[in-house]
Amino acid sequence: MSALVQSPLFGLLLTLVSYRAAWMLYQRSGSHPLLHPFLVAMLPVVLVLWWLDISYQRYMEQTALLQFLLGPATVALAWPLYRQLGNISPIWRPVSIYILVGAPLAASVAVLLAWLLGAPADLLGSLAPKSITTPIALEVVRFTGGYGPLAAGAVAITGIVGAMAAPLLFRLLRVHDDRIRGLALGLTAHAIGTARAFEYSERAGAFSSLALGLTGLVTALALPWLWPWVASLL
Amino acid sequence: MLDGLLLLLLFQFLGEALVSVTGIPVPGPVVGMILLLLALLSRQPVLQRVAPAANLLIGNLTLLFFPIGVGIILEWDRYSDNGLALLVSVVGGTLVTMSLVIVLLKRLLPEAP
Repeated sequence: MSALVQSPLFGLLLTLVSYRAAWMLYQRSGSHPLLHPFLVAMLPVVLVLWWLDISYQRYMEQTALLQFLLGPATVALAWPLYRQLGNISPIWRPVSIYILVGAPLAASVAVLLAWLLGAPADLLGSLAPKSITTPIALEVVRFTGGYGPLAAGAVAITGIVGAMAAPLLFRLLRVHDDRIRGLALGLTAHAIGTARAFEYSERAGAFSSLALGLTGLVTALALPWLWPWVASLL
Repeated sequence: MLDGLLLLLLFQFLGEALVSVTGIPVPGPVVGMILLLLALLSRQPVLQRVAPAANLLIGNLTLLFFPIGVGIILEWDRYSDNGLALLVSVVGGTLVTMSLVIVLLKRLLPEAP
């Protein structure tokens, strides 16, 4: 029995069952960001791993199949990006400026705040890609000397906070344009923000998907080159 | 579905191969994504077959990175000394960033209904 519990079959099944149940709860709640499956599914998985004495190392080996699929999933992001590119042809210039300024801004704010509070370089490297979609963020942390789990957590919580705060910020800053709503959500809060943008309108969702793709692309291309220079300043 | 998966793995391989040959410091799958995007822009009909597999993977992204995320709890000892810095950066940083990009967008895009 112990061998079975330590096998990939058990780890994958545990993950899928927990995730499926968490997903159902999320759907029933009307996609409330605080009930995002990333947070909710964590509870049963962590408890079962502790209870059955399965190490994190072993759990990672058990779920290697899912992690492998992050590679093709990253490549797959080209598809929605391709579908959305038509949307920006009339305003490609302001959108390009926006992404080229906004993507480094998101990374800089995260790194600067943590640095001011004394976080060491490996944690700063984990936080730098926190506004970009997780599969790309996990690739980027390998270049910034960060930790995958911390990056995945920071990305998820960033998405949740961004999706929850967006309606308030849009009111305070008097945003009535769905293009702006979408572009702001997609750049800051990646896929979770994009789900929120679709609740405003199809148009907001399309602009959010676009910002998500372009921000991930720009960050992945720039951060690995820039990081050694940033790290030397810290 | 099979064609889609084949295309995704093929482009990932091309991306990884390009990175390995040139030694550029960019993630291989991201290069694969750029190559696929360029290929799609050529409007070859066969490439549209990437859609079912791409939508399936993107629709379940959270499931794919979830096991890695579990490490944040199981390895919390590694991060606990800097809990406050992490919290401020992740929560505060997100609010600051979103406010700043909204202000930027309002300057870049003239208001339309």
